[in-house]
Amino acid sequence: MSMTPTPPLLSVRDLTVAFRVRGEDAPVVRDLSFDLHEGETLGIVGESGCGKSMTALALMGLVPNPPGRIASGSIRLGDEELVAAAEARLRRVRGARISMVFQEPMTSLNPVFTVGEQIAETARAHLGLSAREARDRAVEMLRLVGIPAPERRVGDYPHQLSGGMRQRVMIAIALVCEPQVLIADEPTTALDVTVQAQIFDLFRELQDRMNTAVILITHDIGVVAEMTDRVMVMYAGRKVEEGPAADFVAAPRHPYARGLVNCVPRLVADPPDVPEPLFEIPGLVPGAEALARPGCAFAPRCPRAMPVCGREFPPVTASPGGRSVACWLDAEGAR
Amino acid sequence: MIRTLSRRLLNAAGLLLAVLVFNFALIHMAPGDPVEVLAGEMGGATPELLAEIRAGYGLDRPFHVQLLTYLGRVAQGDLGHSFYYDQPVTGLILDRIGATLLLVCAALTLALLLGCFLGVVSAQNRNGWLSHLVTLLSLAGFSAPVFWVGILLILTFSVALPVLPISGMSSVDAGRMGPWGRAADVAAHMVLPVLTLASIYLAFYSRLARASMLDVLGSDYVRTARAKGLSRFLVVYKHALRNALLPVVTFAGLQFAQVVSGAVLVETVFAWPGLGTLAYESLLRRDSPTLLGILFFSALMVVAVNIAVDLLYRLIDPRIGAR
Repeated sequence: MSMTPTPPLLSVRDLTVAFRVRGEDAPVVRDLSFDLHEGETLGIVGESGCGKSMTALALMGLVPNPPGRIASGSIRLGDEELVAAAEARLRRVRGARISMVFQEPMTSLNPVFTVGEQIAETARAHLGLSAREARDRAVEMLRLVGIPAPERRVGDYPHQLSGGMRQRVMIAIALVCEPQVLIADEPTTALDVTVQAQIFDLFRELQDRMNTAVILITHDIGVVAEMTDRVMVMYAGRKVEEGPAADFVAAPRHPYARGLVNCVPRLVADPPDVPEPLFEIPGLVPGAEALARPGCAFAPRCPRAMPVCGREFPPVTASPGGRSVACWLDAEGAR
Repeated sequence: MIRTLSRRLLNAAGLLLAVLVFNFALIHMAPGDPVEVLAGEMGGATPELLAEIRAGYGLDRPFHVQLLTYLGRVAQGDLGHSFYYDQPVTGLILDRIGATLLLVCAALTLALLLGCFLGVVSAQNRNGWLSHLVTLLSLAGFSAPVFWVGILLILTFSVALPVLPISGMSSVDAGRMGPWGRAADVAAHMVLPVLTLASIYLAFYSRLARASMLDVLGSDYVRTARAKGLSRFLVVYKHALRNALLPVVTFAGLQFAQVVSGAVLVETVFAWPGLGTLAYESLLRRDSPTLLGILFFSALMVVAVNIAVDLLYRLIDPRIGAR
């Protein structure tokens, strides 16, 4: 899919998001570049605080300001530049061409409005539908996301629905205007495992139907393997590895990505009496001040760190099959 | 819904009974003898005449008999007979309550609407000059005593700049005005007392609305509303304000009692012919039936407002009463 010569739907170049902390700009996303093609699913993986959610908010034009802002870079959707676009223009993009499903279905819906109204108002805002048409559209969307008896549920309040149902409603809100890009920020983290599977099935089904490109933010390697076409690993605000999901899961390159994949416990047919201890990446996620230091942010935790790692951020090394990695171990001419 | 309401009404009846008994006992224990006050105003009396008046009002009977007689009468809707005005207390109260309700409701509405508006605006730019101004004004509103604010307003707008009437509810020549003229006259008289009474609550509500809005503006569902591409107006006034209103409404309901008691001070300062002035005069004259009647009526209003607020909750927040 990445071989297709069509121009990407969404193109992010050198995106830097900075937060002003005690008078100084601390970058939380740095020089991030990636493309997203029509109908494709891109996974963004990393620990909490690695900048994946902030990347999503930047795409939506919703970086909390103050203290945050997009410091530099470009986000192009089709031929429209979104960085530094006027608020009124961004508003027409949000919810209509790019929409987002958040992590917490329990708190992401407004408790004082019916779910029908919360779907319908999005349709009214972007599609110019009448109140009546918007309500019909809300019922249709509820049916589409697999909520039983949608004619009745449309008048329910969020507290009358379970967590899984609420996330379905959030998906209905996100998809009501048939956006080109859907960003799902850990959409199933707050749900239990069986519901998780249902929600992912729903994503796949709707994506096939609407040909929506999906950015799936997760820290679950299993989800990456199952759901995504391509994956991008972020660490401390930077992209450290990118490649087709299957290749990546089979053989991650970057030491951090290897750690992530090794963290997943494996089911084995004939377990030894004493199970191997679960792999763990040593150390902690670096804080914002550590991100401003030169060099690779993972170096202090890296089992294979070299002197150069602490001095300079490694160049990105591309290899056949659409893979790339930012690590001195792969860099040409590295000692 | 109906079950909740009937339970609330039953509670209210118990509460009102307790208020009656407590107030009756309190006034009974208070120093000062209404009969002596009466006798004093008549220009002196013999001990025989005092005893006669006392027997006439039933004041010579034991406490518990007096209490039970009073409760029995109240149960039949009779609040007793005023010593001083020599007319039924119920009539006295009904004559005055309109003026008090006008004052209280106008002040409360002004405080709520303006307070919420200021709170919302200052929450949106939390470090802007308007936000600081609201903080400053509400601090002043908190700290200044109501009667002092009233006197200051009178000195400014009735004495130094004589644009508004000093006191009372209507002009002397109000009888010669048409209905609109009279309404305008009352409105002009209302301005200063309403401002005075509203000032302190305005301070409360703007602070509360500001804090509540700040809380709600940071919530996930407001982020969702923005992510939908809704206009700023819809995000703030539809999605955020409705949720932020709940604590404000709670507070307004709880504070209604304080507004009524605040009205006593304001009415006294502005000679507003309402219940507050009547209560103040009755207190000085040891007119205990009138005073008791007013206390009972105030309690009744507070209880009614609290029940109304409970019902209002259900309109604002569907989660309440859904069980």
